[in-house]
Amino acid sequence: MKNKYILIGAFAALAMFTGCSDDFLERPPTGSLVDANFYKTDAQVLAGTAPLYSVVWKDYVDQANFKLGDFRGGTVFRAWGDRDDVLFNTTSVTASNTNAYRAFYVVIGQANLIMTNINTYAGSDVSEAVKNHALAEARFMRATAYYHLVSNYGAVPIIEDNVAILNNPVVNRHTVESVWEFITRDYEYAAANLMSSAIEPGRLTKWSAEGMLARTYLTRAGVGSTGGVRNQEYLDKAKDYAERVITMSGKSLLSNYEDLFLFPYDNNNESLFELQWVYTTDYASANTMVSQITYSNDIANGDGWGGDISASWWMLSLYDGLIDKGVENDPSDDGVKPGFTLDERLKATFMLPGFVYPEITQTVRNAAGVESEQDLVFPDPGATAASSYANIKKYVVGKAEDLQAKGSNASSQRYPNNTYMLRLAEMYLIYAEATLGNAASTQDQKALEYFNAVHMRAGLPAFEDALTWDDIFEERMKEFAMESRAWYDLVSLHYYNPTKAYDIINSQDRGLFVVHPNRMPNPTGWTFAKTSWFTERMAVANSGNFQLAIPASEVSQAPWLADEPVTYDFGD
Amino acid sequence: MLLAIILMQVTSGLAQAPARHPVSGKVTSPDGQGLPGVSIIIKGTTNGVASDVEGNYTIEAANTDVLVVSYIGFVTQEVTVGARTQLNVALKEDQKVLNEVVVTGYGELRRVDVPGAQTTISSKAIEKTVNTTIEQAIQGRAPGVYITQNTGAPGGGISVNIRGVNSINGSNEPLYVIDGVQIQGSVSPSGSNPLSTLNPSDIESMEVLQGPSATAIYGSKATNGVVIVTTKRGKSGEVRVNYTYLYSLQTAPKSLDVMSLQQYAQMENEYKAIAGGTVREEFLDPSLLGEGTNWQKELFTDAGMQKHQVSLSGGSDKTTYYLSGENLNQEGIALGSGFNRSSVRLNLDNQARKWLTLGANLSFSQTDEKLSTNQNSIITSAIQMGPQIAVRNLNGSYGGGTVTATNTAEQFAPANPIGLANITTNELTRRQFLGGLNTTFHILPGLDFRSSFNTTISYSNSTYYLPTYQFGYQKNENATLSNTDGINTFWSWNQMLQYDKQIGKHHINAMFTHESQEYAWKNITAQRQGFTTNEVIDLNAGDLNQSSTAGGQGTGAMESYLGRINYNYADRYILQASFRTDGSSNFGAGNKWGYFPALSAAWRVTEEPFFNVPFFSDLRLRYETGLTGNQGSSGNIYGGLTTGPSEWGTSFRPANYPNPNFQWEETKTNNFGINIGVLENRIQLEADYYIKNTDNLIMPSALPWYMGTTGSGSVSAPTVNAGSLRNKGWSFSVNTININNSAFKWESNFNLSHFKTTITSLNSATGFYDRINWWMNNWTQRAAIGESPWLFYGYVEEGIFQSVEELQNSALPADNNGEEYAIAENSIWVGDVKYKDINGDGIITGDDQTYIGNPWPKYFAGLTNSLSYKGFDLSILITSTIGNDVYNYLRNENSNPNNINLGRNMFVSALDYAQLTTDAEGNTILANPGTTVARIASSSKNGNYSRHTNKYVEDGSFVRLKNVTLNYNLPATLLARQKFIKGARVGVSAQNVWTITGYSGYDPEVGSYVGANASTENAAIGVDYGRYPLTPVYSFNIGIDF
Repeated sequence: MKNKYILIGAFAALAMFTGCSDDFLERPPTGSLVDANFYKTDAQVLAGTAPLYSVVWKDYVDQANFKLGDFRGGTVFRAWGDRDDVLFNTTSVTASNTNAYRAFYVVIGQANLIMTNINTYAGSDVSEAVKNHALAEARFMRATAYYHLVSNYGAVPIIEDNVAILNNPVVNRHTVESVWEFITRDYEYAAANLMSSAIEPGRLTKWSAEGMLARTYLTRAGVGSTGGVRNQEYLDKAKDYAERVITMSGKSLLSNYEDLFLFPYDNNNESLFELQWVYTTDYASANTMVSQITYSNDIANGDGWGGDISASWWMLSLYDGLIDKGVENDPSDDGVKPGFTLDERLKATFMLPGFVYPEITQTVRNAAGVESEQDLVFPDPGATAASSYANIKKYVVGKAEDLQAKGSNASSQRYPNNTYMLRLAEMYLIYAEATLGNAASTQDQKALEYFNAVHMRAGLPAFEDALTWDDIFEERMKEFAMESRAWYDLVSLHYYNPTKAYDIINSQDRGLFVVHPNRMPNPTGWTFAKTSWFTERMAVANSGNFQLAIPASEVSQAPWLADEPVTYDFGD
Repeated sequence: MLLAIILMQVTSGLAQAPARHPVSGKVTSPDGQGLPGVSIIIKGTTNGVASDVEGNYTIEAANTDVLVVSYIGFVTQEVTVGARTQLNVALKEDQKVLNEVVVTGYGELRRVDVPGAQTTISSKAIEKTVNTTIEQAIQGRAPGVYITQNTGAPGGGISVNIRGVNSINGSNEPLYVIDGVQIQGSVSPSGSNPLSTLNPSDIESMEVLQGPSATAIYGSKATNGVVIVTTKRGKSGEVRVNYTYLYSLQTAPKSLDVMSLQQYAQMENEYKAIAGGTVREEFLDPSLLGEGTNWQKELFTDAGMQKHQVSLSGGSDKTTYYLSGENLNQEGIALGSGFNRSSVRLNLDNQARKWLTLGANLSFSQTDEKLSTNQNSIITSAIQMGPQIAVRNLNGSYGGGTVTATNTAEQFAPANPIGLANITTNELTRRQFLGGLNTTFHILPGLDFRSSFNTTISYSNSTYYLPTYQFGYQKNENATLSNTDGINTFWSWNQMLQYDKQIGKHHINAMFTHESQEYAWKNITAQRQGFTTNEVIDLNAGDLNQSSTAGGQGTGAMESYLGRINYNYADRYILQASFRTDGSSNFGAGNKWGYFPALSAAWRVTEEPFFNVPFFSDLRLRYETGLTGNQGSSGNIYGGLTTGPSEWGTSFRPANYPNPNFQWEETKTNNFGINIGVLENRIQLEADYYIKNTDNLIMPSALPWYMGTTGSGSVSAPTVNAGSLRNKGWSFSVNTININNSAFKWESNFNLSHFKTTITSLNSATGFYDRINWWMNNWTQRAAIGESPWLFYGYVEEGIFQSVEELQNSALPADNNGEEYAIAENSIWVGDVKYKDINGDGIITGDDQTYIGNPWPKYFAGLTNSLSYKGFDLSILITSTIGNDVYNYLRNENSNPNNINLGRNMFVSALDYAQLTTDAEGNTILANPGTTVARIASSSKNGNYSRHTNKYVEDGSFVRLKNVTLNYNLPATLLARQKFIKGARVGVSAQNVWTITGYSGYDPEVGSYVGANASTENAAIGVDYGRYPLTPVYSFNIGIDF
């Protein structure tokens, strides 16, 4: 019987103390790193800023970028979807609006926290140069997000330290002027601290930041302007920065425009800033925009959902000679005679029936429905068709086998090609526009020379007239169509000449039409006719819908966003 | 098994041989019937016999021997033989489970000592319905417990809400304690059910702990209530073998009313007449067309379910065992679903010494599930698939959309759902070991020390293979195989000191326990694409260059001290106090430990000398108060980093804002209860009223989007303790014995419950949480202060605009300057939807959205009637839910006539779209003024079909004849002709046979969203998205005892 008590006592003593050590209840994550243990070497700090080049932009660059940038800009339209954006009815609940808004603030939140973490945890093993470079990358990204925010929404809250306001996240909107000042300061910091040559291919450099400063000052010159006159000081700065990047960055225009989008084109010598996508099964890190804009699964990988996304009639009419005007000033005659353009940017940006793209494989079916593969020949809609599309070519890279031939790969919603955010060509056009400034036209030789560098690269004869704002604007449309720039150019114009911005938008035909080749294959001209039964052709822009409204659910959980914006305190 | 053999060895007693004489007699039930198969054993030996079919037995015994007479369901009797040769024994029905001792958290209490709200569901009740998983058995039987089946798919998941909504973003599922093994309930977004590995036939009883005096002993895991599941244990006596076979026929649901081929062609022609386009040749004369394909009929089919169950129970008075095996094979009524379970269980008990008891529960199970139906939206596709498309082409291949110059719409048609369901592999296999060992030392009379070690080890493997296919235009050119392996382990070690003593009129029951628990999980996922053949479903057959892998792991621990004292004076005053403290690895240094006290009292007025009302057999008043907790999930105190691929190798980014001050969530409950028994307890009434206040709610901080915590690549909001909510509710149940005579017995149980959940604060006065389902056109449910969680959010519809005049006099959608859009055919026009101007500003904007529905019921109820007459048992269960709303997303999506342009079929009601015409004065009016469907327009500034409105919110109330079962026990006289079979039963039942509801979809019992894209954080509640319906099930069963 005594044994019983000894046994029970020993057992109880043993059992009671199971788990009683302090370690038992300390369980740091075993499946992931924690912030305090990271940012200890140069390599770790750089790995810490790498996400700023892709995932954080995802919700914008998946679809919102071209829906805002090109649908609203009028270069591209969609016949059966996203009509809110196409017709300038983007609301506070439209997906492109909410996705874009969220994405820009994700960029800002990540950039801010990464800076906080580097400042808090980076140890002595991290070199000062890399640390500053990384902080500059974060500020560059933050400035780029604010550039997009202020352009789309006007006054928005400026946030420099998310952690500080986690418990009391009440921030008012800051004035448009404050936001532009904030953007400028971030880019200036970036220009001073980024490496002058890429630390790894595709990383930001000093020249990326100076290029952004050129873009920023050009737009800022119009902010708060009176009587349509832009700020000369800022125009001069834009011109200076553009000139510096053109002459000092070591970058140069690719000789062939088409090569800019011929995979693999990533991080070529014309590129100043790209979002860096990779082929991966991770949705957020791969390029998914390709799936959205590719016209058919016939040239894709189980995706290809952009069948009704097309160059707008207005866009096509900008290409010299394409929509032939048989009778001067009679729109009813437009497109009746087969037209043709020398502008090589057309084929690199949009597809017309009969265009051949040997780099992309196309699945075709014979009369019996048997499939075979060939080099892509954009199909003829047929003589009786009343509607067709000039679908998107830019950024469309084709099937997995096409990419495998180039040492890469693709699958549905997983593409490796990068998204341009800033190209050297823009510097040439910024120089021209900043030189033109507030004048009606310019004969400045350097401005013309730089303008022609872009213009003639497209296979066009030299431009020799006096250069006007319209010339430069139309050049920008053709150069950057489907690069989500058109809308931002209109925003830039709207700051100092809103009427002109509305006039441009309200004159753009965004309706359905049909393109017929004069012969197949190898057409030498195309006729264009607007689809008669399609009535929703024109957008109506005015001060009431030009800017996006801050998303409805954002305003309902942060009602102070409805208050008047305040000036930001820069603490200096 | 080895253990079993050892235990047997220990107990084989020493055989002695004093003088014996034959003893014979008859064992009878309380109503005088002879009981066959009763075990009569001489105490301390393995010598024994069983009674024959008339209950007679004969055994050799000595004068000093004690006969142990035992039979399942009856109280075991011990009788000293003495000099008698004739010894009749009348057994009493074992009321232990129901009336004497009930299982409660960490121990057992006498029923009379239970001071709190707790509901028992016995195996008898469980066996009356056809249950494939254990929680199904609770539905309609326990007051306060609101149960919805999230998917009717075989083995599918269930939501169990005990006493309201206790958490905004976390789980609301109770804690399940299965023979001491703690399993946190959860709703799997894939639709599979974490508890489906358990065999409901093994359950002896389920205790639903609701009030704080019972739940608080589980401290930090108990806020959502606790369900204690006790499995069957062996009874001493001759081995009893039971075999049960069940066959069920599950029937296909009634088809929803979608367009026939004629209607579809007519619709397409009308659409093209309005929006433009050339009529297809084959649709020129719709009257020549037939019905077309009925995709719902193709998808749904009657399906069988079979269950074989064998159990063995027996043992000596020292060792008892219960061994059972089961195979359940359930086909789904929809293609791409199915469930198969095989399980074995061995429960052992052994009295090793007078002072030492050993026990073991060991169960092993495997389930195989097919999950394609939910994960691939097969049901939705079947509703939207056009009738002009054939299931199979003439050459046997699956049909699909064709795209021609006059028919471009079918490129948007869904992929053939029948083809997809047949060729897709989406399987989940789970293997689970669940069990424990325990030993009890009887130190002194009434004082026991018990130590138990429990563990679960579960392994899961899922295979998802989407092969290449071409169904007409719809095709997949790159096959994908994804394999996921997961292993979860959990153990707990529990030491318990128990004391139970009656001193005069004082009864004391005390318990003190120390417990440590640890869990760990690890997952591996591997995926490849680029399969050149669909024949071999193995990763190796895919393209190495298109492969990816992912991992994940975690671990956590808890340590607890808990104690309880229950004091009873003269069965009149009952007081109970309990206390638990939990230490959790989820919290930082200063917040590790949480404290959870509870206090309760009951007063049995009927026991008072002054209370002398013979009418009342029981009158008991109860009050209980206590704290329960919630510890959230692990990792919130750390700033974790997420990895991702980048141009320059692996990138690292902050995953979440750490919150080192993260602490315990607390729920304080006050519960008032009353029990009334009258007419010798033939009518028993139990009612409870409770108020639960939850503070320090654990949830992600509600932050504006500008904090960058929402969206791809975002830093997740910190998990904070912010906000509080309140649940008020009541439940009551009545048990009656309506008729009870020797031939006929009729018993009823009715229960009715109500709860209301209100969010009382959040971390900011204006903050709220939205669940936005982007795949359902950004369907939104909102949790905001002053409201119940997850109310439907949208616009209110006020009909269809009938005239330009009405348009001019109404609030219309406006631009950012607040200017109304033009009234014109290509803008806002007659036939568009009229929205209610909620904020009264004269225009329609996002601010005119409001709460348009509430997914939570006002009342839910269950009514059981059990009738028995001679060998017949009839049981009828009716369940009901009143006052909840269902958002019929299917109707929203499939009432849009413009869908014809996407090659989709739709409900017939879409044919009645608003048709415009002009009156004598040339004004545009509606040709069908009564319609509720907006006009056809290729795009709409008015957002006719893109806004969620109250038009699609329907009343989800229903009354359902859940189950009718008729069982017949074959009479003993019939069985007496042979010796082999000792008892036999046959039964038939019908389940879900009859439902009264105003709801227009397949099934009003919608539950929470499961399927593709869902997660526990975003799952919509009460939205019918093409949920797998519950349909009538007809069953036949036969049971035989050997």
